[in-house]
Amino acid sequence: MAALKDDPVLGIDGRLKEEGLDKAGLVREEACEREMVPPPGNSIHKSGSRPQLDLSKAAIQGNSEERDPTILLPNQSDDISHLALDIGGSLIKLVYFSRHEDRSTNDKRKKTIKEIFGITNGNRRSYPILGGRLHFVKFETSKINDCLDFIYSKQLHHGGLDTHSWNSELLSIDNAVIKATGGGAYKFADLFKERLGVSLDKEDEMDCLVAGANFLLKAIRHEAFTHMEGQKEFVQIDHNDLFPYLLVNVGSGVSMIKVDGDGKFERVSGTNVGGGTYWGLGRLLTKCKSFDELLELSQRGDNRTIDMLVGDIYGGMDYSKIGLSASTIASSFGKAISEKKELEDYRPEDISLSLLRMISYNIGQVSYLNALRFGLKRIFFGGFFIRGHAYTMDTISFAVHFWSKGEAQAMFLRHEGFLGALGAFMSYEKHGLDDLMVHQLVERFPMGAPYTGGKIHGPPLGDLNEKISWMEKFVLKGTEITAPVPMAPAGTTGLGGFEVPSSKGGILRSDASALNVGVLHLVPTLEVFPLLAEAKTYEPNTIDLSDHSELEYWFTVLSEHMPDLVDKAVASEGGTDDAKRRGDAFARAFSAHLARLMEEPAAYGKLGLANLLELREECLREFQFVDAYRSIKQRENEASLAVLPDLLLELDSMNEETRLLTLIEGVLAANIFDWGSRACVDLYHKGTIIEIYRMSRDKMQRPWRVDDFDVFKKRMLGFGDKKSQPHKRALLFVDNSGADVVLGMLPLARELLRRGTEVVLVANSLPALNDVTAMELPEIVAEAAKHCDILRRAAVAGGLLVDAMINTLDGSKENSPAVPLMVVENGCGSPCIDLRQVSSELAAAAKDADLIILEGMGRALHTNYNARFNCDALKLAMVKNQRLAEKLIKGNIYDCVCRYEPAN
Amino acid sequence: MDREEVEIEGNSEPNQQSSGQISHLALDIGGSLIKLVYFSRNNNNSVASKAGNASSNGNSRTLVVDGQIHFKRFETSKINDCIEFIHSRKLHLGGVQHHEAPTSDKIMIKATGGGACMFADLFKEKLGVFLDKEDEMDCLVAGANFLLKAVHHEAFTYMDGRKEFVQIHHDDLYPYLLVNIGSGVSMLKVDGDGKFERVSGTSVGGGTFWGLGRLLTRCKSFDELLELSHQGNNRVVDMLVGDIYGGTDYSKIGLSATAIASSFGKAISNDKELEDYKPEDIARSLLRMISNNIGQISYLNALRFGLRRIFFGGFFIRGQAYTMDTISVAVKYWSKGEAKAMFLEHEGFLGALGAFLSYEKRSLDDLKVHQSVQLTPTCTSPVGDKKHNPQTGCLNEYESIQCSIYAA
Repeated sequence: MAALKDDPVLGIDGRLKEEGLDKAGLVREEACEREMVPPPGNSIHKSGSRPQLDLSKAAIQGNSEERDPTILLPNQSDDISHLALDIGGSLIKLVYFSRHEDRSTNDKRKKTIKEIFGITNGNRRSYPILGGRLHFVKFETSKINDCLDFIYSKQLHHGGLDTHSWNSELLSIDNAVIKATGGGAYKFADLFKERLGVSLDKEDEMDCLVAGANFLLKAIRHEAFTHMEGQKEFVQIDHNDLFPYLLVNVGSGVSMIKVDGDGKFERVSGTNVGGGTYWGLGRLLTKCKSFDELLELSQRGDNRTIDMLVGDIYGGMDYSKIGLSASTIASSFGKAISEKKELEDYRPEDISLSLLRMISYNIGQVSYLNALRFGLKRIFFGGFFIRGHAYTMDTISFAVHFWSKGEAQAMFLRHEGFLGALGAFMSYEKHGLDDLMVHQLVERFPMGAPYTGGKIHGPPLGDLNEKISWMEKFVLKGTEITAPVPMAPAGTTGLGGFEVPSSKGGILRSDASALNVGVLHLVPTLEVFPLLAEAKTYEPNTIDLSDHSELEYWFTVLSEHMPDLVDKAVASEGGTDDAKRRGDAFARAFSAHLARLMEEPAAYGKLGLANLLELREECLREFQFVDAYRSIKQRENEASLAVLPDLLLELDSMNEETRLLTLIEGVLAANIFDWGSRACVDLYHKGTIIEIYRMSRDKMQRPWRVDDFDVFKKRMLGFGDKKSQPHKRALLFVDNSGADVVLGMLPLARELLRRGTEVVLVANSLPALNDVTAMELPEIVAEAAKHCDILRRAAVAGGLLVDAMINTLDGSKENSPAVPLMVVENGCGSPCIDLRQVSSELAAAAKDADLIILEGMGRALHTNYNARFNCDALKLAMVKNQRLAEKLIKGNIYDCVCRYEPAN
Repeated sequence: MDREEVEIEGNSEPNQQSSGQISHLALDIGGSLIKLVYFSRNNNNSVASKAGNASSNGNSRTLVVDGQIHFKRFETSKINDCIEFIHSRKLHLGGVQHHEAPTSDKIMIKATGGGACMFADLFKEKLGVFLDKEDEMDCLVAGANFLLKAVHHEAFTYMDGRKEFVQIHHDDLYPYLLVNIGSGVSMLKVDGDGKFERVSGTSVGGGTFWGLGRLLTRCKSFDELLELSHQGNNRVVDMLVGDIYGGTDYSKIGLSATAIASSFGKAISNDKELEDYKPEDIARSLLRMISNNIGQISYLNALRFGLRRIFFGGFFIRGQAYTMDTISVAVKYWSKGEAKAMFLEHEGFLGALGAFLSYEKRSLDDLKVHQSVQLTPTCTSPVGDKKHNPQTGCLNEYESIQCSIYAA
């Protein structure tokens, strides 16, 4: 996937207020996409100035007969770099887009692929969307100058020109207009004019709220979640079943909006008892200095000292006749009527909690009654009062649940603070988000995410070095900082949750349960894998990390593996001091991610094992470790390629039936070479690749733990006299470099080719562990082809090889053109694969495929083990993890899985 | 005994007729207030003529007693005053037991409200009586049904300072929503005598007003707080729509500039502390917040069950003009004028009255009120607000209802 190859972006901008940090008490951290060095071997464009971008795009679009080529013309592109603001009473929310063009490489392989799959023949959808990133940032309104500085430093008001080019004449854009909403859009209009020379174009608040909510609910898979008794559960909402819903925005007051569709909504109700009431009354009663302080207080409160409970009235007994338990609040603040106590005699904590419960409960009740009135099943709550605060959400949920007798559900939004700003962003005539589909968005949580909550202040960090320093500062700060997350989690780039009270520095976790908001990567080229049988209900992850022990296990695995990974990563960059520093920073950042997730598994959205593994790869890339296993992969490829000819000879001496079994055994045996598996890494110290491979294959004793080989064989070879029709095209999802691909999958591919089946090798777009990448495969195939005629002719046919000698060598077979062997990238940079988001070339290749083979733990077990396809599917893997073996197949480590599922 | 009682009454209950024989006493012991309802028998000669009336109506019933129902309340925290009051008038001796045999073993007094459980021992100890607990909701509904059917001018609407009695025909009474605003708020859907369901409620009620109000204003009594609220201006404390949208209406969604956008929303300002706000303004804001909220939730519940009438009762209302006004406005606003808030003259005593009516089932239907409300002559508006407060503030306390009990 193109956009994944972008320079690593530190999408989070965080400014931390931390005692002892820089003189302003702030640490700034910022995305520095432009300064990053493109990883070698990848054809990466710097996201340079716009003219450059637009020219290249225009040419490509012309060739590919896009239906709407103008979309990507230069002037249009200019329109698609935007900033929008929501200036509220306490917070300013920014949403801005940084362009990241779809990399149009001149890669020969890709070109050939396009020709083969007919991508250039107009059967591809056009992309009205530019690839890029949507950033979410918050500032306190009282610190509006920080916000202005931030905008200025990133030149967001001028369309987000990068720092290298904005000092050019391009700066002379006059009368720039920025969309803004919220009350402050009026109040601060002059300030923006004066400081940045831009005019604020005010958008209606409700329009923005609704547009923002609709976008989020449609475009982000797990945007909505329920919150009951401290448990978050993400809810996947079918687009076609979204409307109508009730949107409850809890700001100073509360608005309740019935939403019937895009731009179709009505404010049906509201209440004046809202966040302003909580904060206003709370201030008067507790002398708290900030909203967050008040909220924080509530966490240690006991409202029973101040509320009159049903039990207080009925002498500790429930009033069960009408369904009220003794602990139900009969009268908020009802105990405060006692003459014995004055305001000073009550703990501010208790007051805050009582107030919070009173208001949350009331909002939940009034919302439910309105939902009921219009027959709305779903109620989404948002607004600054919520702020990801667990208790608030629980109380509201409880009220809705209680009054609806479980029939209505309160739901919350991960991006709740940004509805208005997103809506304002979408009010631009050409915001480019209109047709965005769920599968085209990837949310990433850059390194600052676990540290900084929802706050971003200050100019971008200049370079990687500053980023590393930022990480180092955290650790140097000592214990209170290293503790997983030093600050209010949040939202960095937004996200999240709580902003604030940085005044409390390291200690304050306003609320660990607040959610982080990442950077939304818009990748127009991603598509849903067309062969998925039940795309709507497809869940890639086999392992559910909501089970805490499972989570702990994997965290331990990843933590233990880290030193080895860091060593490899540092070595891959030459072991320089710089590489060591980056290695340290990576370790810190990733540990912080793990700690954050351990604390709040839902912090980054729905968490599956695949997400965790991908997070690690992303984190490596952030610190510019583009390929930690590069040299290992190379070495193993070479060693394996050296013994391939012998293996092929051996195979060719067998009859068809034996050969098929040996091939499958070979795939399983070769799958033992996996640097992602701790057990296997230990094994490597005991022998050479070939020794291990042979030993491994010799040990293959059928039946395997999951063994559908006979059914597969029947399909491949037929039964009795009945010969079966070969498959037309097979997609082989390959796993590791070295023996795995060379001695396992390539021979299998060769067998398929020999039987007349086209073979598409599907490999990662970006490196992950020692997985082979689509970039590396052609070379491996070329090398293998030197010793094998079948592979060579297929590779030529598939455009992987340009063989000048082909005609002379194969003159006799001219009339029967070979079936092609091709390579496509899968769109991922992870050891696992989420088939909802694959590259467009894979999607195109899948069109004619009638067999897919998933190989390896990451792609066949951790993910997709339960996936169903519209074609024959073979899942092959050796289980190199005892726990997984027990859990998934009730077996043991090194057991094998050969699962064959014919198309229905 | 009678003499002594008269003396005490001199201060608080100058109704001379109450010097008659006392029959029944019933209590509603709530979280903040204790409400008493007791019956005193008239010591006059009107029995014959009443009986005559009864027979002329075609009823074959005979008049048993003729007298008055009295209403009285105490703060729950001053329960000893209440016990003292009962003791001094020997109200507890006139219960179910025949008054000729006051010393007989077990004296039962009907009581409802949460305190009926909590203070049972105290009553036993101090007065030697057992509290016979009646279900609170049953009592509320029975009290309301009785009043709505038996008392002529019981229900009224209140808007813009105008009180208007509503005549409700017995046959057209049900179903209705009864909102009882005590410390908390209960909302009951009433379908008939003894037929009702608690459909909703809210914890934001009278206790909240008084509790929060005490903390914020240091008022010494509920009434003082209410009184303060009359003089306040909530705009100082509340954030109005106009404050947000720069004085203009947000007419697109039908909000006027003076609508409260956020109660206490202005109190978030860093410039002012609690001491800087006038207690009057705070009391007003609090009252509006709570009244408005109750009105809204009540309307939404009425809507849900298709109920046209909402009766508000409970001690929070207390005939307070401003409270009633706010609730009425809320109901009118949210229902777009389709629903009307109604109030009851005896709103504070529904529970106690219901408990009272539960004594002898046979007498329930026989209790006939033949003279609706008898205001005491001494109750001249003690409250300052002339515009809004027709003595209603003290109405219930000194009130009694003339009535007769007939035997079937």
